[in-house]
Amino acid sequence: MTTVIEVNSLTKRYRDTLAVDDVSFTIEKDTIYGLLGRNGAGKTTVMSILTAQNFATHGEIRIFGEDPYENAKVLSCMCFVRESQKYPEDATPRHAFRIARLFYPHWDQDFADRLIDDFQLPVKKTIKKLSRGQLSAVGVIIGLASRAEITFFDEPYLGLDAVARQIFYDRLLEDYAEHPRTVILSSHLIDEVSNLLERVIVIDKGRIIMDEETDAVRDRAANIVGETSAVDAFIAGREVIHRESLGRVSSVTVLGELTADDLARLTDAGLDVAPVSLQQLIVRTTQHAAGASADATAGEPASDIDEGARR
Amino acid sequence: MNRTLNVIRMQLVNRQTYLWVPVIILSGSLVISLAIYGIIAGAGVTEPIYGGGAQAPLWYFAVVGAQALTLTFPFSQAMSVTRREFYLGTLLTAGATAALLAIIFVAGGLIEQATNGWGMNGYFFYLPWIWEAGPAAAGLFFFALASMFFVVGFWGATIFKRFGATVLTIVILGIGLLLVGLLWLVGRLDAWMQVFAWIGDQGALGLTLWGLLLIAVLAGTSYLTLRRTVP
Repeated sequence: MTTVIEVNSLTKRYRDTLAVDDVSFTIEKDTIYGLLGRNGAGKTTVMSILTAQNFATHGEIRIFGEDPYENAKVLSCMCFVRESQKYPEDATPRHAFRIARLFYPHWDQDFADRLIDDFQLPVKKTIKKLSRGQLSAVGVIIGLASRAEITFFDEPYLGLDAVARQIFYDRLLEDYAEHPRTVILSSHLIDEVSNLLERVIVIDKGRIIMDEETDAVRDRAANIVGETSAVDAFIAGREVIHRESLGRVSSVTVLGELTADDLARLTDAGLDVAPVSLQQLIVRTTQHAAGASADATAGEPASDIDEGARR
Repeated sequence: MNRTLNVIRMQLVNRQTYLWVPVIILSGSLVISLAIYGIIAGAGVTEPIYGGGAQAPLWYFAVVGAQALTLTFPFSQAMSVTRREFYLGTLLTAGATAALLAIIFVAGGLIEQATNGWGMNGYFFYLPWIWEAGPAAAGLFFFALASMFFVVGFWGATIFKRFGATVLTIVILGIGLLLVGLLWLVGRLDAWMQVFAWIGDQGALGLTLWGLLLIAVLAGTSYLTLRRTVP
């Protein structure tokens, strides 16, 4: 594996808030990453510092081994259309794509045209007058058709309906298969994107709390479902991160990979094992981590991720 | 270099801002001025008539300068354009459009001289004190003036974008106070005669060169501000 992005103790402080707190990670070539976390966790800040749109308070970043600031060679390999992207006055989507074509060496106009059809984007309307979903589509099309070596998608689905979101996921995977590249997708709709992601980086309050392969994350926990007394017997001595009971049936999420021995015991006890959704696991571990550090805040109102998990 | 030239194409991709709106403003104010001259000439006035309508597109340049930054800079960042490329490309665009405007003004002035002020001794483009050093100097004057309006708009917008509205207001008030202080000083030293004499000595060409110096200072500070501006 080749490392394309290297981040070393990156910190970003705005007057009185610490948006990014001493973060270090690496991004490998030709992999799809999920940058997950709640609103305001620091996702957009990290991406805008990586693309030299914003500046670190301290810490070091290297893109292809170089500093991206004012570095045309490195910057032209990256595409980052932010969620609240501004466009020139009176520009239409057609103008925006024409400009993107000038600056992105791998721009594929046919692909862009196909995406415009897929999203039914009105290309002659001024961008100011587009709906939120159509505005997101402009960003998504630039991100996909630019085929930049490193592409960032910042909450790309805002305002897109379920069909349009599926189109985005499908096109991203199809195109990624043909033209492998590094994709960093920031999102808080974790389950919806979880099938795309090869690795997840979870960021919370400016710190990275998880940086793992998606499959490894999934194996980290399991849902044990069955008769309450049998479940309790099985989970004795294990770390429980979540529990729900309905009548005499309980569903308990336990941390730790299940061994062959465990599986045999479960079958004997008539218990079922259900996979844990990535979203639930991340929500539970986030809450777990927060609870462990400050259990007084356990009554904190539900976050966006949390609401998503309950939907 | 290629990417800097592409910034020019980025700024010009929407013909509205840089081409059609100035053309509409210029021809609109020309038509209105000529209509007024017509009325005045029709009333039997034979003195040459001069108007300030030609300023209209120049003011628009300040707006374009501000918009080139506030709206196009964030987009240029999404296009992975460096700040230097954006800056150079945008100033080249401004210079090219200012040059085009200057050519139109000179051509208009030559037509007015040839037609004796559209046959009614009314002048829109031709102002004697600007033209006293010849058409080339007049062209340079218009070029510098249009560039200055653009750079002032651009300069204000970079300060706004980097430091916010409060700082921009303080800077503008500070410059205002400085100018008032200068006026007071000139009055105090009883030096108004010398000041006017100096301005008279400079002529349109001399003032143009001082204007170019001011443009260079504003453009330089804009670049230093832009280097650390976040879209």
